[in-house]
Amino acid sequence: MEAGRRLGQLLKPGDTVYLFGELGSGKTVFVKGIASALGIPEREITSASFTIVAEHLGQSGISLYHADLYRLENLEQAEAIGIEEYIGSDGIAVIEWADRLPPGYAEGIRVEIRRARVAGREGREIIIEGLDEKDWHNS
Amino acid sequence: MLILGIDTSCDDTSAALLDVEGPAVNVVSNVISSQFEIHKKYGGIVPELASRRHLEMIWPVVREALGGTGIEGLSAIAVCKGPGLIGSLLVGASFGKSVCFSKGIPLVGVNHLEGHILSAFLEGAGPGFPFLSLIVSGGHTSLYMVEGFRKKFRELGRSRDDAAGEAYDKVAKLLGLGYPGGPKIDALSREGDPKSIRFPRAYLPGTYDFSFSGLKTAVVNFLRDHPGPADERNRDVAASFQAAVIDVLVRKCEWAIRETGVRRLSVSGGVASNSALKERMRGMAEKRGVELFIPSPVFCTDNAAMIAFAGYHHLLASETEGPDLNPRAYLPL
Repeated sequence: MEAGRRLGQLLKPGDTVYLFGELGSGKTVFVKGIASALGIPEREITSASFTIVAEHLGQSGISLYHADLYRLENLEQAEAIGIEEYIGSDGIAVIEWADRLPPGYAEGIRVEIRRARVAGREGREIIIEGLDEKDWHNS
Repeated sequence: MLILGIDTSCDDTSAALLDVEGPAVNVVSNVISSQFEIHKKYGGIVPELASRRHLEMIWPVVREALGGTGIEGLSAIAVCKGPGLIGSLLVGASFGKSVCFSKGIPLVGVNHLEGHILSAFLEGAGPGFPFLSLIVSGGHTSLYMVEGFRKKFRELGRSRDDAAGEAYDKVAKLLGLGYPGGPKIDALSREGDPKSIRFPRAYLPGTYDFSFSGLKTAVVNFLRDHPGPADERNRDVAASFQAAVIDVLVRKCEWAIRETGVRRLSVSGGVASNSALKERMRGMAEKRGVELFIPSPVFCTDNAAMIAFAGYHHLLASETEGPDLNPRAYLPL
């Protein structure tokens, strides 16, 4: 959640975040973090598996498009729900289960979340790619 | 007064004709064309296939619902305007808009959740106000305090992550049971021991919110740590998972009853047809002296009769829509 919030603070309209990670890795929690940085109440963000895409309006007028491709099998289906309309749009798009997209499609900010045991406790390993490292450390 | 209801929020095309005179509600027809066979092989609903099927089915379903009644005889058409799959919603809403526009009939937009809440009134007098309403389905898990037929729905809590039905579908997929997960897990649970695995129950004390994501993760972990012969293990996983979901649903309703003092409860949505949930809710209601309303399965699942009934109350209040009605995938009540 905290990592999501830090990333959220660095995002600009038009950015797309591609989220990778298996069932139960904490992707939706990460999206809650991004949303909170945009002034969207955390509890507004729930699993989007049912509606595939949910749109939320942030405090500064920036839209957050929260997509969840869990139920999609392939790109044709992603195209059919108009996923490309959200990528690089006037808002910020976050796409869960981005591995449902074919290789090369997910160009932008990539976040991989893995469950890992840290010091004997259940934790999470989060890898963020496609950001300028100094932005992250200056945030 | 005849109202035609249309619901195309997800994977079922539904149209219903409702005859309402004062307090008397008569569901003349409630036609549901299921897309189950189309989506089964994909292990879930495929939005594009759903929209196309809605397009094919909307006229036949509406025609069947109308029976001999002419469109001119309708007082209004009520369509579901969300939440749901946007492509699917558009089919029903566009259909309703064009028919109403060309025939000069009032159009009413109904929130799908409002429909589920009011489904308690389709088979009799229904609960008195106020009452507590739990919606449990594949897309929603929410608890409301209901104080009137329209606009008086106060959300007490909702799922912070996965809906209960969604957790069922995801766990069923993990167990290789196929889609939809609810009935399959319900059936398999009868052969398993619900006390064999202690899955977590997220009670979230101090709130009426729900969370089923952690339970789903616990099932993932359990399956990872217990490889091997799947048959007996899966029966116990199904039974223990279902017990965890039901414990939370029943207990939170019980809390709400105790803290609000309201002794009327309705449970609706697709998961409300789950046999174990019904049994536990009935037991709890009996123990606490609570009047319990669970609609028949046909009114628990997505249906247009509930949309027509909610639409009737909007019509009474002159809340109608124009051709600019725009359905939305995310639409809180």
